[in-house]
Order: sequence, then structure tokens, then C-alpha cells
Amino acid sequence: MEKVFEIYIKTTPERLWEAVTDPELRAKYNFGVGVDSDWSPGSSYESVHPAAGIKIAAGENLEVEPPRRLVQSFTALWSEDVKGEGTSRVTWEIAPVGDSCQLTVTHDQLPEGANSELFGGWPMILSGLKTLLETGEELTTPGSLRYSGQESEAWSA
Amino acid sequence: MDEVFKALADPTRRSLLDELFERDGQTLSELEGRLPMTRFGVMKHLRVLEEAGLVKTRKRGREKLHFLNPVPIRLVHDRWVSKYAEPWTAALSGLKQDLEKEE
Repeated sequence: MEKVFEIYIKTTPERLWEAVTDPELRAKYNFGVGVDSDWSPGSSYESVHPAAGIKIAAGENLEVEPPRRLVQSFTALWSEDVKGEGTSRVTWEIAPVGDSCQLTVTHDQLPEGANSELFGGWPMILSGLKTLLETGEELTTPGSLRYSGQESEAWSA
Repeated sequence: MDEVFKALADPTRRSLLDELFERDGQTLSELEGRLPMTRFGVMKHLRVLEEAGLVKTRKRGREKLHFLNPVPIRLVHDRWVSKYAEPWTAALSGLKQDLEKEE
């Protein structure tokens, strides 16, 4: 199964790449969860929720071409249910368009009928990423705050 | 964002999005077979959805597959829905949790 998510963000490819790979920036729009890696091709990465202290996801950086393309294997770890879905693949593609960037996130190699938790968060993540890069602010809709910052109950519930 | 509202304002186009939500990555022929409409009509509606960014296409060999891109709907939600509706639902789900904890 394959899922495609696309968004236009008024920023440069370099800033967008930084927002995807920098742990502190990433945590601002990614349900409070950053990502740790040295970002060399073939390296591993890991996402841990800082407040709840649980592993959210992990995988390998299969292709790393800053600031245009990042291909990662993805194993969701936030619950027993999603762990059972195995490993899928996430491809980030950044293309400059005028004064903006087109960002396409393709989440594929998902099992048929995969748990929608695996890919259901992308629209909110990308919306938050757009808000962060265009305004410097974090999304404050109740849905986006639910998993962020110190409010870790939602993850451990 | 006008294009998104315009695209969503038509029941056939909403059906097409529902079809892709059910099964992503369909060809024009598959979509045509599910709607009581000519191939040309379906193509026309798909073009409006593509222009609004709600549908993305990918070539697979000879076939063109259509994928639902839900991100613009999320942007509409964050700008136009959540401000008006979500404080209530958040408060209500919080109340539900508090009540269930007390039991």
C-alpha cells in the first residue's frame, strides 16, 4: 500500500531540510517527538518521546541527498498494534517552486489494509511544519497539542 | 484555498475522494467503473481535484494511478474548523476522561 502527502511551503530547500532533520525543530511539529541520527547514508535514526520516554519510531536512512531527497525505512514502535505492522518506507522529496518548496512525503511498502495510525499523522505533521516555517509559530489547535510538550499522557494511555 | 473549497463543493468529486480513501492508487478506468458517469466526466472532475492538490497522480508503467492527498483538507481544518469546533470537542473528550477516571 502506498500513501502520498504533498504540501507547498514558503521557504528554501535548505531550511526545509533542516526542519526535517534537526531534532529540536522536528519536535515542534511532530507530536513533540524529535529524531536522532548522524544523517550519513545507511545510518540509523530513532525517535523517542522526551517526556513519556517511549520509543516512537526507528529505521535506517537509505538515501540521504540534502537538501532534496531522503529515503528512510520506518518501523512504528508506539504501540503493540503498530509494531505488528512491520517495516515500511518513507520518502521525502523537496522541489523548489518559485519562492516556495513542494514537499512530497510518500509512505509506501505498507502492508495491505495497514493500521491507519501508521500514516494518519502525516497531514497534521506537514500542516505544523508549514506553520512553523512560514510563521515561526507552532500550531496551537487542540489536536496538535494533544501529543506535544509535557502532555505525554496521550502516548502512554 | 479557494480551489480546495471549490473542489469539495461538488458531490461527485467528494465521491471520488471517498473512493480513493477506501482504496488509494486507482486508475481512471477503475474509478470510472465505480461512478455512474462517462470517462470524460470523471476525467474532468479528477482534473479539478488535481488542481486543488487533493489528488496526486503517479505513473506505474503504462498506468496512471490516482492518490488522495489529504493535506489540503487538514490545512482547511486547522484554519477554518479547529478554531470554531475543536475547543468544544477537546473539552468534551477531557470531561469524558475525567468522568471515566472517577468511576
